[in-house]
Amino acid sequence: MVSNSNINNVKTKTIGEIFSKDPKIICRNVDVFYGEKQAIKDVSIDIASREIISFIGPSGCGKSTFLRCLNRMNDTIDTCKVKGSISLDKEDIYDEKIDVVTLRAKIGMVFQKPNPFPKSIYENVAYGPKIHGLSSSKEELDFIVENSLKDSGLWEEVKDRLQSPGTGLSGGQQQRLCIARAIAVSPEIILMDEPCSALDPIATAKIEELINQLGKNYSIVIVTHSMQQAARISQRTAYFHLGELIEVGETKKIFTMPKDKQTEAYISGRIG
Amino acid sequence: MNEYTLLILLLLISLLWFYFGNKTALSLKNKQLKLNSLPHYYGIYVALYSIIPSLFSYLLILVFDGILFSNLIMEFVPKEILNSPDFNKIIVLAQIDNAVRGIYFGEQPDWVTIASNQMIEWNNQSLIVNFFCSISLALGIGYLGFKNIHQEFRSRNSVEKIIISLLGLSSIIAILTTIGIVFSVIFESLRFFAIIPASEFLFGLTWNPQFEGAERAGSGQEGLASYGSVPLFVGTFLISLIALCVSVPIGLFSAVYLSEYANKKERSIFKPLLEILAGIPTVVYGFFAALTVAPLMRNGGSLIGLDVASESALAAGFVMGIMIIPFISSLSDDVINAVPQSLRDAGYGLGSTKNEVITNVIIPAALPGIIASIILAVSRAIGETMIVVMAAGLAANLSFNPLDAVTTVTAQIVTILVGDQEFESAKTLSAFALALTLIVITLILNFYALHVVKKYREQYE
Ligand SMILES: Nc1ncnc2c1ncn2[C@@H]1O[C@H](COP(=O)(O)OP(=O)(O)O)[C@@H](O)[C@H]1O
Ligand SMILES: [Mg+2]
Repeated sequence: MVSNSNINNVKTKTIGEIFSKDPKIICRNVDVFYGEKQAIKDVSIDIASREIISFIGPSGCGKSTFLRCLNRMNDTIDTCKVKGSISLDKEDIYDEKIDVVTLRAKIGMVFQKPNPFPKSIYENVAYGPKIHGLSSSKEELDFIVENSLKDSGLWEEVKDRLQSPGTGLSGGQQQRLCIARAIAVSPEIILMDEPCSALDPIATAKIEELINQLGKNYSIVIVTHSMQQAARISQRTAYFHLGELIEVGETKKIFTMPKDKQTEAYISGRIG
Repeated sequence: MNEYTLLILLLLISLLWFYFGNKTALSLKNKQLKLNSLPHYYGIYVALYSIIPSLFSYLLILVFDGILFSNLIMEFVPKEILNSPDFNKIIVLAQIDNAVRGIYFGEQPDWVTIASNQMIEWNNQSLIVNFFCSISLALGIGYLGFKNIHQEFRSRNSVEKIIISLLGLSSIIAILTTIGIVFSVIFESLRFFAIIPASEFLFGLTWNPQFEGAERAGSGQEGLASYGSVPLFVGTFLISLIALCVSVPIGLFSAVYLSEYANKKERSIFKPLLEILAGIPTVVYGFFAALTVAPLMRNGGSLIGLDVASESALAAGFVMGIMIIPFISSLSDDVINAVPQSLRDAGYGLGSTKNEVITNVIIPAALPGIIASIILAVSRAIGETMIVVMAAGLAANLSFNPLDAVTTVTAQIVTILVGDQEFESAKTLSAFALALTLIVITLILNFYALHVVKKYREQYE
């Protein structure tokens, strides 16, 4: 347990409001290293329940790296070391007692490139519930699959071909399938790493609408390189630069009156 | 001068053309003209233009004259030899050929001397004809190519075309060779089936060609040879099955370990070590099986009250299994590595353990490749001979018991064809029938496997 007294008592260079009233995830002084190279420098931020927060910043600034710390996906990279503290519901997720497997079931992830398993649509969505034993019967599993596909807005398009391969869908459909797969495990938080960067504008619009819907029930952290997208869907925005968290705040404020010079430069298109 | 000097001469001429082509192109370039291609392409173009037709005519004349002369020379062979029952054209030709080279065995009959002198004369004439034809082609056609060189000539594209046709030609040669082998096996097999009915060969349960034409010891009457191939195929199947039981789990598990669990350093040590297994000559496996594994199994078996033959299918299959491990592990390791990282990420992102990712995501995605590696291993196992000869024995027992001595198709082919043999006997010809059946079986296996792989592909991609 991270004690309540010192979490809002942290030294940080970040401009803006890093704290939330109802924090789900609390990150304090997080450093990330790839071998000798430091990719994240002293980042502290809260992520609230049922908020959509977007991470923006020039590419290579560490957005993905930081995002992958939140569900410990960085564990799969040998050279990657994480320092500082990250807690979910006040429990340190890097604690030895924490089971990564259950942690990742609570924090789902959607990747940059749609990556459905080379299995049927049904099997893709059923995968998570199966490995976590979330259903006790075939009917229950069917129910979960159907609901997840409905929540991701894919049901009407695929209900007649649940047994055909997931890889046969269009890019946008595949990405929504991946979202359905993630929510089938009933996570509390969904991390999305540039989920629309491989999609055309129409598919992107559908995903954005979906994210807005999902924001009512989940906390969503989305990395995006499109500032319009950040402006359209997120309540808060965090601007990263060279591994540092420069500025955080309400999306409106960040885009209309950024306090930091670098943030302003990026938003007005002078850093890309 | 002989045919080799002529060949070298042709090569020299084409080199010369390369030099001239290159030089002309360079001089065009020096005149500030913009060439279509790099200068050396002009050189290569002229050189290829000169060498290909001349080489073709050189080989054509060589082969054609060889065939022609060997037929004409029969005029010089005396009638009584030609008509005698054991006349053999190949032997007669070899006799003359030896005389031509100045090799004599004992007394030389007169007609051989005359014939060989005639042959030498013909050969010389042929060489002269060949010389003029090939050299004039090399120079003449080379010159035509050379004259083609001008500023806009696209030598690069032309060279490309010539190279493409050469590549096509090579693949045609490979295909023709395969077809040739298959047909020769088919024809010899047909001769076998003219003596022994196919039904007996395919369904007969005893394989015993040793008595062919021989007197059965003591009995004074001709023994009966039998050509039922079932025991051999059962033996092949049994040994291959044992080999697969050993190699598939070990190969697959080590592939998974190598690609998913081992770190870089372990991988760089283990992978080459495993691949060394593939480089060990099979004869070494053979005596390892015969001298180490088989006695071990026999002794081990007698300890627990099992009667293991000193040459057993188990010993041979076990060692063969070890031999084919690298085929499975190395290839499977490659296909597992080729499974995109994004799929692993998807698995881990959903909260799978490493083991779940491997069994539910990676192996299914890599399955077509894994099956392909197993098929490769099976065809190695079926074709393997040395280990069987040394460790499983040559007794054609019809048995499904892995502790018995059995033999395989390839091992029988070897025993039939080593040592003295008559080419016309059913015993010798049976080797071809066996080979044909083996080819057909492996073909069916391959087609079936391809079919399975394709089906999985459709389902999984
Ligand atoms: N697996 C890795 N090994 C070493 N360095 C990495 C690895 N992944 C990312 N990096 C480095 O970390 C920095 C941040 O990368 P990343 O988080 O992918 O940036 P972003 O997502 O903001 O474009 C980059 O400089 C990148 O080169
Ligand atoms: Mg990124």
